[in-house]
Amino acid sequence: MFLALLASLGVGPDSTPRSNDVLPDATLVQSLLQRDVNSFEQLYDRHSRTVYALVLRILQQAATAEEVVQDVFLQLWRNAAAYDAQRGPFVPWLLTLARNRALDHLRLKSERQRRREEQTDELPPVVAAPPEYEKELDERRRVEKVRSLMGGLLPQQKRAIELAYFEGLSHSEIADKLKEPLGTVKSWIRNGLLRLKEGLQTAS
Amino acid sequence: MTNGDQFRELIEVYALGALDPQERASLEAHLAEGCVECAKALDDARWLISQLAYLAPEAQPSDMLRGRLLQTIRAEARAGKSAERSSAIPFWMWGAIAALLLFTVYQTWEVTKLGKNIDDVNNRSAAAIAERSKLQQQLETAQREAVILTDPKSVMIPMVADSKSMPKLEAMWHAKMGIVVAGREVPMPSGNRTLQLWLIPKAKDGKPIPSLTLRPDAEGKFVLLVANPPDAMEATKALAITEEPAGGSTQPTTKPIWVGSIS
Repeated sequence: MFLALLASLGVGPDSTPRSNDVLPDATLVQSLLQRDVNSFEQLYDRHSRTVYALVLRILQQAATAEEVVQDVFLQLWRNAAAYDAQRGPFVPWLLTLARNRALDHLRLKSERQRRREEQTDELPPVVAAPPEYEKELDERRRVEKVRSLMGGLLPQQKRAIELAYFEGLSHSEIADKLKEPLGTVKSWIRNGLLRLKEGLQTAS
Repeated sequence: MTNGDQFRELIEVYALGALDPQERASLEAHLAEGCVECAKALDDARWLISQLAYLAPEAQPSDMLRGRLLQTIRAEARAGKSAERSSAIPFWMWGAIAALLLFTVYQTWEVTKLGKNIDDVNNRSAAAIAERSKLQQQLETAQREAVILTDPKSVMIPMVADSKSMPKLEAMWHAKMGIVVAGREVPMPSGNRTLQLWLIPKAKDGKPIPSLTLRPDAEGKFVLLVANPPDAMEATKALAITEEPAGGSTQPTTKPIWVGSIS
């Protein structure tokens, strides 16, 4: 409340009149290069819930999750040039950045750092334009579609993919955790991802 | 099966981050060789993997996070603009001074007139230096406020009013950086009177320690930064604000309007 109150007192560069136009993410990110606080605010309001939900799912702890979300958005503000709109959409890039940062936090508490070190120390590569089968699903439909497709996988396939995505575990670590043969785990993950991909293709 | 086919089977799992080190190293070596098809497949796979984020249960971050972030962003934006303004001053000013010095040497017979010009430039130079100093001070204040407001080590102190008609204030105290107190819809003290912050010591029989005075703006808003509190947080039981004569008092002359206990 206090900080929200302070924010409302701010007389700064964001005090310019706000536009009601819905600007594309890429345009807003471009405006960050000119230190446009209003654009940052719009991006935060649009995407903070999705980013926070992802980070909270990974870290399972609200206070730490908020720290990571703060880091992610501060990095966006301070290094907006790292995102290149010509090379792909903004949201997958932001989610990849958030996942990497969250897994970095997990990594600090574990002995898995060496495996992920090279992948997470830098900004993620720009995620290329969505494949041809991807249409401009709005976020609600996208959530429902992905959840529905994952719900259609075998439970062990879904579990293995979630362990990799949300906990940053490798094939071997998942096999150890689930006490299943390595080859079996590899098949679950690979086949599960292929089914997810096919499902999204069919949805187009 | 070509070499590329063999690696393409690993692309999705690589994007997921689940390959074991050996497989990962092999695939990265293959990508480094410039396989265009695998690079394209990796782009698609990264997008596919990013969609897994939507499996996370819905959740909403706190308003505190939004406020904290925007406070930091605004402070940095202000700092950037101040730096741009202040950095633009010396070039112009030094250019003007240099031109006038050359003019002085070459046009000695205009000494009197030139002297006047130099005085004028000196005055403007002094004004520019003063403006720069002011901007620097504003920048430092904004940075300090941002640290106090965003550092998890800061302690939040709600300040409760003695009357329901008065708004609630809140303070943040960082042991090393100081205190920030802010409020809005605060009534203006009558006449020349002012509001004054006090530190109430924990020590038995300890007297309130005077701190800075403040007056809200025309809209009732204020943000007070106490960069060097007169006592340590550990030795302080509470913060209080009273109304005092202009210039403040050495001891409170009125009953506190706001009090905030330090837990």
